[in-house]
Amino acid sequence: MRRREFAMFAGPSILVMSGLLLLPLYRTVQWSLQKVDYGSPGEFVGLDNYRQAFSNSRLADAAVFTVTLTLLVTAVLLVAGYVLAVLVNGLGRAKPYVLGLLLVPYVIPHIVGASMFLWLFNSNYGGVVTYVIEKLTGVEILWMTDTWANRILLAMNITWAMLPFAMLIIVAGLQGVPDEILEAAKMDGASLIRTHLSVIVPSIRGVLGFVALISIMDVVRVFDPLVALSPSAVQIGNESIMLYIYNVAFRDGGQNLGLGSAINVLLIILIVILLFPFIRGVAKEAKTR
Amino acid sequence: MSTSRRRTAAAAAVVASLSLVVTGCGAGSKTASKTATQVECDYTAPSGETKVNVLAYNSSSVDPYTNTMVSSCTKGDVTVNHEPIDFGGQVQKTTATLAGDKGTYDIIETYSFVIPQLAADGKLEPLDELVEKYSDEYGLDAINENMSEAMSYDGKLYGLPMQAQMLIMAYREDVFDKLGLEPPTTFEEMRSAAEKIQAETDIEYPIALPLLASADIVTAYDAALGSLGMNLTDPDTMTANLDTPESAKALEALISLKPYMDPQVTTFDQPAVQQQMYNGDAAMSIMFSGRMNDLTLESNSQFAQDMAFAAPPSVDGGDVLYNTVSVDGWSIPANTPLDKEMLFEMIASSVSEKASKASLPAAYPARDGMVTESSMPFAAAANESISKVPPSEPYPWTAEISNAITPIVASVLVGKTPVEEGTQKMQAAAEKILAEYK
Repeated sequence: MRRREFAMFAGPSILVMSGLLLLPLYRTVQWSLQKVDYGSPGEFVGLDNYRQAFSNSRLADAAVFTVTLTLLVTAVLLVAGYVLAVLVNGLGRAKPYVLGLLLVPYVIPHIVGASMFLWLFNSNYGGVVTYVIEKLTGVEILWMTDTWANRILLAMNITWAMLPFAMLIIVAGLQGVPDEILEAAKMDGASLIRTHLSVIVPSIRGVLGFVALISIMDVVRVFDPLVALSPSAVQIGNESIMLYIYNVAFRDGGQNLGLGSAINVLLIILIVILLFPFIRGVAKEAKTR
Repeated sequence: MSTSRRRTAAAAAVVASLSLVVTGCGAGSKTASKTATQVECDYTAPSGETKVNVLAYNSSSVDPYTNTMVSSCTKGDVTVNHEPIDFGGQVQKTTATLAGDKGTYDIIETYSFVIPQLAADGKLEPLDELVEKYSDEYGLDAINENMSEAMSYDGKLYGLPMQAQMLIMAYREDVFDKLGLEPPTTFEEMRSAAEKIQAETDIEYPIALPLLASADIVTAYDAALGSLGMNLTDPDTMTANLDTPESAKALEALISLKPYMDPQVTTFDQPAVQQQMYNGDAAMSIMFSGRMNDLTLESNSQFAQDMAFAAPPSVDGGDVLYNTVSVDGWSIPANTPLDKEMLFEMIASSVSEKASKASLPAAYPARDGMVTESSMPFAAAANESISKVPPSEPYPWTAEISNAITPIVASVLVGKTPVEEGTQKMQAAAEKILAEYK
């Protein structure tokens, strides 16, 4: 491809990426070193915002909560997504319809989906699930104020919203598994479980890695579900890093954009650390090719 | 895959997909455009196509004014736009639109609590000259003086009052009559009534208050503190009053109601409290007056006919109630490029006599003499409530301090922070903010 053609094709994309990715990133780093009031130029304060961020235990609490939630939900997404994908992949003519239905939670905006999800658990708005649990066990679960119940509720909602994506990608991966190796496994007498664990899963390792990568990126930035499902997240220890940034930058005690930006930079570093094994894997794969 | 296994897989996949979809059923939406009234809106239109963007949160008491402005002032090449938004969204967008040299909105809904800070920062246009010029045309001399004062800062008017909201107690008259109870006038009486309701009816949590940890909870604390005769700050000495015995008592008073409220009360905003009343899960609630009319609508609740209203109780007896008054109004951002006179005529028309009358009974209009027993089912309660309100605190730091202490108040109420420690933390947070104004 000639240089001019390359520039014509890549130019618009580079321009858009610079505007939507690099410029905000530059601003975030710049503001993280400033005291910023809305509409006024910032005042350079060095690393003060970072010092302030690390001096408050809320950051560490939010980081631990976010990372734990991310790892757990990603693991559930991989396992449940795989099982669901296998079920869907085995369907005949119904497959496109079932796939279409399964994708509904993925296309609903997160905040809307989370609000609707809450209605299943909030007695004030019906709360069918809570009602059934209470009738069966006699236990009233406080989904929004009990720390662990709320964590489970959040994990379920995020899984509900992201499972279709995981399933869809894994279905695509399953379709690429050659029939020959499945036949060979069958002829060797491999059980169903053994075939999945030793033949299919290794064959779609790259696809599963991709699902894990996207899931980690999405869950680590979780915000919308918390707004709907965890109104007292700060008080019960279920504040995610994104919610913490929002509270600092736009809510608690006015608008501290500098501190919010500093925590944002720290979040970006955390995401890179979490994604490092996957990025290294991709790089290695590219080298071997 | 065998046929039976395939069928099992199909059934499992369909069940899984339906379970993912089923929670999506039942969503709905509500618009209030039918609350619009046609009034005179006689501004001089600028040449060319003009869009006027209005920022105002949706509620049954604000909607009539917004909708009237949109429907009456959209004409010719001038379009008045209003997008639905909740109160939290309005708060965020107000900050953003007033931040720079140019904003997104040309008319914004404001309230007495934020006027001092916004006015002190020069974010709003003073309206006095325009009020004087258009007073006769839109009958602005009938607007209540106290409400105008509440929307003023440093002697200048920054928001044209549309309506006031004060705290009102709504209670289930059928339950109270059956048990021989009177509407409580103190927190002590409220606890006694709740105890009796808990003991003698199926209502497990008789009291419903909006105590959302991220917002409403600080309004409740402020109302309790005010009822005990204490302000958040002393502007003469520039000191905070948050570590005083009254401050501790205000927190303890709110904590004392917890056994009678839903255990998840710190997640309840006003719509959630309304829902508790609609469902019959609570027998008494205290909310802003703008939420009261909804309780009387049979389309909302089977208990609508049983709702009765009273002024809220005082915390510890005395004339000052557990109360706060918020005056809502229209302001013109200083950074709008549009003609200020045109914008003023739009807001003046939306609070005109005809428009204000049409807002009844959902709103308590800012015009004198409009609220009567025949125009509003909770008029007596509203009038008594507004006459026994703690003094307002029209200082630029009030909103900032309220924001800063909100998580601390919440932490005390959920029991994570002891009262004494909480008051110390609140005092420190407030003193830090006051230091910037000294």
